[in-house]
Amino acid sequence: MSRDIVLKAEDIHKSYGSLKVLKGVSFEIKKGETKVIAGPSGAGKSTLLRCLNLLTKPDKGRVWLEDIELTNPSVNINKIRQKIGFVFQEFNLFHHLTALDNVMIGLRKVKKLPKEEALRRAKEALLTVHITEDLWHKYPAQLSGGQKQRVAIARALAMDPVIILYDEPTSALDPQLVGEVLQVMKELARSGVTGLVVTHEIGFALEVADEMMFMYDGRILEKGPPKEVVFNPKHEITRKFFEQVGRLYGERR
Amino acid sequence: MYLEQLPMLAPYIPFILEGTIWTYSLVGGGLGLGFLIGVPIAIGQVYGGRIIKGILDVYVWFFRGVPLIVQLFLFYWGVFPAMGFKLPALATSIVVLGLRSGAYQSQIFRGAIESVEEGQMLAARAIGMSKAQAIIHIVIPQALRIAIPGWTNEYAILLKDSAICFVLGVMEVLTRTKYVVSATGLALLPYLFAGIHFLILTYGGTKIFNILYEKVHIPGLVKRGM
Repeated sequence: MSRDIVLKAEDIHKSYGSLKVLKGVSFEIKKGETKVIAGPSGAGKSTLLRCLNLLTKPDKGRVWLEDIELTNPSVNINKIRQKIGFVFQEFNLFHHLTALDNVMIGLRKVKKLPKEEALRRAKEALLTVHITEDLWHKYPAQLSGGQKQRVAIARALAMDPVIILYDEPTSALDPQLVGEVLQVMKELARSGVTGLVVTHEIGFALEVADEMMFMYDGRILEKGPPKEVVFNPKHEITRKFFEQVGRLYGERR
Repeated sequence: MYLEQLPMLAPYIPFILEGTIWTYSLVGGGLGLGFLIGVPIAIGQVYGGRIIKGILDVYVWFFRGVPLIVQLFLFYWGVFPAMGFKLPALATSIVVLGLRSGAYQSQIFRGAIESVEEGQMLAARAIGMSKAQAIIHIVIPQALRIAIPGWTNEYAILLKDSAICFVLGVMEVLTRTKYVVSATGLALLPYLFAGIHFLILTYGGTKIFNILYEKVHIPGLVKRGM
């Protein structure tokens, strides 16, 4: 495996009962890259993302993070997951912890960092996503959706991950809050944080993504530079999809 | 007419009230032991495998299904002697109340654990926590908060269940009340007095748990109906 490939998926299959959600997905991401996955609902995007950190176990296929094969049963998956950031559509911040403690708990309990060190890194991560000190001691229920998602990004970021997986990070947000989250994601992408983003935000893809993968019916139907895939796709299905998405979302930046 | 009898009851009132110490030993011990038993059972029932769940189901079935009086006799005369020791009546009662309350409490905590969103566990696992860490650090702290109202109910029930321990002669409030009835020949008044005493104990306890509930409430989370 090439030195600078940080994540590689090979022939991922996943079924729920008789429903085949993933029918053989392969791709790889190099260090510092941002890739976007788009596609209609039911295409298997979220399932694919969860197969990459084994929150969902693929039925077949292999996943590597750097040179470790996650899908090898003898691998301690908890050790690997702390290196893969995961940002959920529904934020999933820990309700009973303040913003600061949400970011700290992984550093303390998983990475076992001393308190001072964890505190320093948590604050740094929060500032990176523009969560200022006045919000550090707020509980998730006291934050706006955009603030929650930025704290969730900080929680992933503080663990110093090899890659961050974003599962439709702006889909649960009110429209006026989408921008602040996308802004943070763009800044991270530009600063060299490797990312794989499931999103319908075409503007985001066009601006910062190195590659766009279009998923349909459990497969990657086509991939390429975002401009190509969005404006000049090879398949009629892809063209129709982006036509509809464009109508709904516009080219929001 | 009962007020006329009050002078007859009066000398015995301190004797009855002293039973509160025994009553609260039973309730405190039973609730505490039940908590220590109930939380692990709930965790096992939610996250355990088939065999563990099966064993726990039988436990819950037995301790919720058999009348308390039968359980008290069974342990006092049967189980403990068969195990080679005989516990005093108070200790036996506390253990039985605890085992029994554990079965009831497990269902309170089980419901509370199940009402913590799935996403909390997912997020915990996603940052690299083991399942056990996620349960301890993320799920249980939220579930315990949710469980407080149900737990308050368990307190109120246990308070009155404790009175059944009179069958082993534990000197709790109601046992003493019976003695007073025999000694004085009064019929209703001592029981009325004991009833009011239990009402006050129920009020005080539930009040304290309600305050606790408010205190540990997560800021900003909406409380339905408030």
